[in-house]
Amino acid sequence: MKEKRKKRFTYITALQILTVAALLLYMQYAVGSGKVSKVFLAAPTDIAQKGIKMITDGTLLPHLLVTLQEVFAGYFLAAAVGITVGLLWVFFPKLEEYMNVFCAAIMAVPKTAILPLLILWFGIGFKSKVVLIFLFAVFTILYNTVTGAKLCDTKYIKVARVFEASRVQTVFKVLIPAALPSIFNGLRLAAATVLTGVIFSEMQSAKAGLGFLLSEAQSNLATARVFFIIILVTLISVGFVKIIAGLEYLLCYKWRKL
Amino acid sequence: MPTIKINHLHKSYTNEKGEATKALEDINLEIRDGEFVCIVGPSGCGKSTLLEMVAGLLDSTSGEILLDDVPVKGTSRDIGVVFQDASLFPWKTVKKNIVFGMDIAKVPKEEQEKRLAKYIRLMNLTEFENKYPAQLSGGMQQRAGIARALVMNPKVLLMDEPFSAVDHLTRCTLQEELVRIRQEENRTVFFVTHDLNEAVYLADRVILLTPRPGRVQQEYTVKLPHPRNRNDDYLIRLATRIMADIGRGCREDEAAEYFI
Ligand SMILES: Nc1ncnc2c1ncn2[C@@H]1O[C@H](COP(=O)(O)OP(=O)(O)O)[C@@H](O)[C@H]1O
Ligand SMILES: [Mg+2]
Repeated sequence: MKEKRKKRFTYITALQILTVAALLLYMQYAVGSGKVSKVFLAAPTDIAQKGIKMITDGTLLPHLLVTLQEVFAGYFLAAAVGITVGLLWVFFPKLEEYMNVFCAAIMAVPKTAILPLLILWFGIGFKSKVVLIFLFAVFTILYNTVTGAKLCDTKYIKVARVFEASRVQTVFKVLIPAALPSIFNGLRLAAATVLTGVIFSEMQSAKAGLGFLLSEAQSNLATARVFFIIILVTLISVGFVKIIAGLEYLLCYKWRKL
Repeated sequence: MPTIKINHLHKSYTNEKGEATKALEDINLEIRDGEFVCIVGPSGCGKSTLLEMVAGLLDSTSGEILLDDVPVKGTSRDIGVVFQDASLFPWKTVKKNIVFGMDIAKVPKEEQEKRLAKYIRLMNLTEFENKYPAQLSGGMQQRAGIARALVMNPKVLLMDEPFSAVDHLTRCTLQEELVRIRQEENRTVFFVTHDLNEAVYLADRVILLTPRPGRVQQEYTVKLPHPRNRNDDYLIRLATRIMADIGRGCREDEAAEYFI
C-alpha cells in the first residue's frame, strides 16, 4: 500500500516538475524574444538576478524585518487573546452570551475596509499593521478554541467528575488537551491569512515593509522585482503555516497521528 | 450492613418541550458489602441511567440511594466507574491515564507508583504503560480503564457494559480476569450488561429490569462458587430461564432463587 503510494507520488511529481519547468521556459523565451513586454512578465533569470541584488545590496532586509515583526506581534497577540477569551467563554457561558454578538459583528466587517480608520487611529506605521493582523487572526483562533472545547466528548467530562476534579482541573487537564487539535486548526488557518492582511495594508500606506516594496516596484514598472517579492511573500506564508503545523506535530502527534 | 441501598428510586427525563419520559420506576435494591450484582434488561430499560445515578453523575427524580447509609450526592471517590468504551484520555499514555485519579486526589508519588505497579501487573498491562490509547486494542484499553478505577481503591465498582465493545475471546479473558481480581480483593461490584451468559458467569445475584420504564422484574441468586465453568449446566439453564422471563415481560414475581 505504502509502496504503491510512493510510486504514484514520484510519477505525479515528475509531471508537476515538468509543468513548472515548461512554464519557466516559456516565460524566459517570451520575454527574452520580446514577444511579451517586460512590463507584463519577467524572465526567471531576471527575477533571480533582481532578487539576489536586493538581498546583497541590503535593500530587502530592513523591509523584510519590518513585515516579520508586524506579523509576529499581531499574530501572537491574536493567539494569546483568542485562546484566552475562548477558554473564558467555556468557563463562563454568560460571558459568551454577552460577547458573542459583538465578536460576530466585528468578525463580519471586512477587515480591509476598516484600514482607513486604523490608520487614523494608529498612524501608518507599525501599530496599525499589528492591529489589522490581530483582527485578521483573532476570531478564527477564538471560535476554533470554543468549538474544540465544546466538542470535548462528554465522556471525558464524566471521567473528570468521577474522579472529583475541580472546575479548574477539568479545564486544564481535560478541556484544553481535548481542544488542542481544534485550537491548532484555528492557529493554522489564521497563519495562512495574516500575510494577506499585512501585505495589503503595507501596499495601501506605509513607510516600510514588503508590501511597501511591492507597490514601489510596481509604480516603477520593475516587474521582475514584483515577481521576486510575490515569491518571497508566498514562501514566508507557507513557512509560517509549516512552523505552526510543526508545533502542533510536536504537541499532539504522539496520540493523534498513529 | 448493605453497601448500597436504593429506596423508591424514580427517574424521568424531561425534554425541551417539557414532556417527561419515565426511565426508571420505583427501584428498590440492596447490594451487600462484597457482593457482585449484575443488572440485565432489554436495551433502553434504564440500566445506564441507574448506574449513573449510583455513580452520582445524574440526579434522581425522587427516591434515595444510600452508600453505607449516607445519601449519594454527587460523585465520590468511594465509587469507581468503568465506562463502556473505556473513555481513556487519548492524549495521555496508559500510565498517565491510570494515575489521573490519584493525581487529582493528591495521592503521594511513592504510593501512586506502588498502586500503579500493582494494577499494571494485575490487569496484564506490563509493556503497555507508555503506549497511547489509540495504539491499544479495545480489550487493552478496557484493562486500562478498569485499572484506572481500581487504583483509587473504591468501595464500590460500577461497570456499564464494560466488555460489550470487545471481541468474544477477549471478553471471556477479561471476565476471567475480573473474577480473579475480585477473589483477590473482595470489592462490591455493580455490573450492567445485556449479555445473560456474562451475567450468570460473573454475578452472585442477577437483577432483571423490565422494559421501559425499568422496574425490578426479578432477582436470581447464582449459587455456584468461583471459579466457575462457563459451560456449567446450572449457569446455562439459569441464563435460559432469564431469557424466558425477559420474553414474558413485565410480570412482577417476588425474588426467585434458582437451584439445580
Ligand atoms: N439524557 C437523556 N435524555 C432523555 N432521555 C434519555 C436520556 N438518557 C437516556 N434516556 C432514555 O432513558 C431510557 C433509558 O436509557 P438508558 O439508561 O441509557 O438505557 P440502557 O442503558 O438500559 O440501554 C431510554 O429510553 C433513553 O432513551
Ligand atoms: Mg446503556
